[in-house]
Amino acid sequence: MPRPEIETINFTVDGREVEAPAGTLLADAAKLADVDIPVFCYEPKLGAPVGACRMCLVEVEGIPKLQTACSTPVRDGMVVNTETPRVKAAQESVVEFLLLNHPLDCPVCDKGGECPLQDISFGWGRGASRFAEPKRHFQKPVELSPLIAIDRERCILCYRCVRFSQEVSEDYQLVLHDRGADTFVGTFDGHPYVAPFSGNIMELCPVGALTSQAYRFRARPWDVEQSGSVCTLCPGQCNVSYTVRDDRVVRVLSRENQDVDDGWLCDRGRFAYQSTYADERLRTPLVRQDGELVPVSYDAALRRASEILVNAEQRVGALVGGSTSNEEGWLLRRLMTEAIGSRDFDSRPAGAVSAGLQAALDAPEAQATVEDLEWAHAVLVLDTEPVDDMPVLDLRLRKGIRRHGVRLAVATSRPSALDPNAEISVRFAPGAGEAFVCALDAAIGGVGDVGGLSRAAGADPQAVEALGRMLREAGEDVVVLWGERLTHAADPARSANAARALLKASGRLGLLDGRKGSGLLQVPTVSNARGLRELGVLPNVGPGYSEPAAVGRSSREIAAAAAAGEIAALHLLHVDPVASFDDRALWSRALGRASGVIAHAAFLTEGVREHADVIFPAEASAEKEGTVTHPDGRLQRLRPAVGKPAGALPGWQVLAQLFTALGGRSTALTAMMVTTELAEAVPFYAGITHDEIGGLGVRWQDRDAAAAFPAGDSGPFSLEAPAEAVSPNGALRLGSFRSVWASPEVAHAPALKFLAPKQRAELNPEDAAERGIRHGQRVRVSVSGAAATPSTVEATAHLRSTSPRGSVFLETGLGAQSATALTPDETTVPAMVTVESA
Amino acid sequence: MPWNPESDVVAVDRGPEPGGLGGAYRVFGETLRGLKTSFGRVVEGTRTVEYPEEKVPVYPRWRGRHKLHKFEDTGLEKCVGCSLCAAACPADCIRVVAAENTPMDRVSGGERYAAVYEINMSRCIFCGYCEIACPFDAITMGSDFELADYNRSDLIFTKEMLLAEPPVRTPLRAEGE
Repeated sequence: MPRPEIETINFTVDGREVEAPAGTLLADAAKLADVDIPVFCYEPKLGAPVGACRMCLVEVEGIPKLQTACSTPVRDGMVVNTETPRVKAAQESVVEFLLLNHPLDCPVCDKGGECPLQDISFGWGRGASRFAEPKRHFQKPVELSPLIAIDRERCILCYRCVRFSQEVSEDYQLVLHDRGADTFVGTFDGHPYVAPFSGNIMELCPVGALTSQAYRFRARPWDVEQSGSVCTLCPGQCNVSYTVRDDRVVRVLSRENQDVDDGWLCDRGRFAYQSTYADERLRTPLVRQDGELVPVSYDAALRRASEILVNAEQRVGALVGGSTSNEEGWLLRRLMTEAIGSRDFDSRPAGAVSAGLQAALDAPEAQATVEDLEWAHAVLVLDTEPVDDMPVLDLRLRKGIRRHGVRLAVATSRPSALDPNAEISVRFAPGAGEAFVCALDAAIGGVGDVGGLSRAAGADPQAVEALGRMLREAGEDVVVLWGERLTHAADPARSANAARALLKASGRLGLLDGRKGSGLLQVPTVSNARGLRELGVLPNVGPGYSEPAAVGRSSREIAAAAAAGEIAALHLLHVDPVASFDDRALWSRALGRASGVIAHAAFLTEGVREHADVIFPAEASAEKEGTVTHPDGRLQRLRPAVGKPAGALPGWQVLAQLFTALGGRSTALTAMMVTTELAEAVPFYAGITHDEIGGLGVRWQDRDAAAAFPAGDSGPFSLEAPAEAVSPNGALRLGSFRSVWASPEVAHAPALKFLAPKQRAELNPEDAAERGIRHGQRVRVSVSGAAATPSTVEATAHLRSTSPRGSVFLETGLGAQSATALTPDETTVPAMVTVESA
Repeated sequence: MPWNPESDVVAVDRGPEPGGLGGAYRVFGETLRGLKTSFGRVVEGTRTVEYPEEKVPVYPRWRGRHKLHKFEDTGLEKCVGCSLCAAACPADCIRVVAAENTPMDRVSGGERYAAVYEINMSRCIFCGYCEIACPFDAITMGSDFELADYNRSDLIFTKEMLLAEPPVRTPLRAEGE
């Protein structure tokens, strides 16, 4: 449903005449007249109001009884009074009523000082209670989950947390038990409330009933400072506010940005700050001496690093990933091209789409924004799992479906968390994304062999036809949320074909002609993928999607070249290819063969620990300064909230010093100067400054400089016959996914440790029954066929009835237990595996 | 506007010229008048309090060095580490870091206790707001005012120092004294 057009009306509140958009609820509209109506249960982010707490009662002329301002929309000519004796009496009574059972333990309550109940009692309460009877008592804080403590005595039953669980995150876990004064919040079956977004209920709670276990008794509001920044753990780049006490981050709160995160945070973003203070975090540079990593000074590490780079004589490969900021990416690019003279650097884990195709996919005309997801007629989620890859979008999609009637279609190989909300869910074989997009293009266009292509993708032809029909007929605003994985095929020709098919299908739906509200939105695998791409941190794309002078090697080619000895030194900027890339064995060999490996890392992940010769400590999210670019083109600013460990240099400065040591000319003295430098190099970033980016970021597509965007491939796109998905033929197709919890930050955050994933094999119950496997049993997954070195991965069988037959799904990002460990010699994850009980 | 030098001229009122009768009176007459008061006191005898050997008792509401209190019956600390004293402190000299009581290690009466409680006496202005802010009467102002030390860092009083009974150095003024 497209955004409705809103008229303005006039109404009067407390004698002030104001204009307000029609349909606004009184509690919000009154703010336009600077009239504050107290509320507890009302929270616009939660959707429709419930009017549970009765705090917002106001008098509306013409209506005999008092009305709840939170659920009464304003009408033209409405006259509202919020300060009459009747309203005052009602407000005082409600506060008195809410405080009947509320314990007076503000001094020990974590909410004390930032508590709406305190504020409202002070502002609208009567100051004394007439209630002399004993209060209701519950056992003092009990664990609602390992992350959240619940103090049921303090609860005022505003329903906010329950509504969040039921209507926003839709995990349906929280309910209200019992009746009357004995009502309390809990999970239905008493199990801990564990969900990807559970932490939000602590921020929603207007009293101290739900408090953070990690923040419990750490600080009072007057002991701390809030410092705004952006979370860089995933491409979602949610805006956060760090709570800082004594130069340490003690809490992360959401900083609402309607265009990015809608005011929510996932638990990874909320609690991973703890990894900043983990003992395992690197705080000084390390250099390998006689096989041991020894702490050294920055000077010594820089000297060693420049030796490695000089000795490699241009045979240097670089990988960029993780939370690399635009500034760091830019300096690495300059280091590689200007000082070293190598074009072998990549910020994509796999695949290589040409500059022209990339520009076509990222063109301002084809770009959908995050907000478009909630107002589109239809959204297609293509080969991505939002809750794992970009969690906050999961909530946005659910909001669009629930409140604005968005029609959702899901096309993935692994069952998605959004399936229950989707009108159509199509499954295709793992790794057959290319064939699926070709089939989808044929289905949308109504031309070509939909049946044949669908079968090649391992998908149901009728479902693909239905999906094509739905997208064609849903309306003009269609958004395709596609995973970058689609273009990660081992063979670059396949990646390019997938990209062309996606463009062709989008063209048929009219997504490429610049209509606002429709378009493509990519879910990248690297959090700042978009920024790095636009700066030209790709082997085949120059700054601003220009055609580069020379084309270098892509990630996989760097790995192959290093393993073959053609690349002597590797520079790993915030990425450990062994731990996170698909071709684990190849990368392990490549790093082992390289004569020098320079890494920037926060933790000693396996590839770094075993192979790096020089390690520079990476900054934590809260210590970083610079800019990042959101997948929809929004430049956002990272601001340091806390100081770095004693003596530590920021990442950009390490790169700048390395650049100077190798004879480059870097004049950047501050991170801001690097921003200025890169804004000059990328035509459509021209003139962008930190000030312009400000607190909420700015989309470059909305600036005048966007006109400088180069024309990409414009089609018509001719498609090749896609690679066919192999038929299971007794074995199982192997699919892989990366859980939101698979990251070193989660593994090293004490609060989140319990969520660190363990390998599990997701199977269809019928496939499992054929092999005599039960749910929860230990199984061995091994490569089928005659592999040179047979490899197995142990996993726990996880039977899902929604899992497609003939496929098994394993997690990646788990070190030696990853799906990627099943790669004996080949450069890709094997397509076929056998599963047997261990 | 052209500069007018006259507006910058400062007129100085001078005192009487020295010398003459007036000068002699000012030298001797006034001095003797002052000395009359001094010599007049000689007959009253010495009134010096021989501080530090001898001390003037302080009033009960005197605001001296702070004390933290424990419950007399259970021995638990009264302070729950709520940090309200730190919020009230205008000199920002109190630092509280709270921690949670466990059944194995119960320090205070409430859910939480002050793991760190520090008052920086070199910043404290002895206003007594902390005492007023405290919801549990855990902190009070004592009578001791002799807080000089050789080292600034020694003036940061820790929880243990504030909980310990201070050495009795300052007599308290008795009722009606």
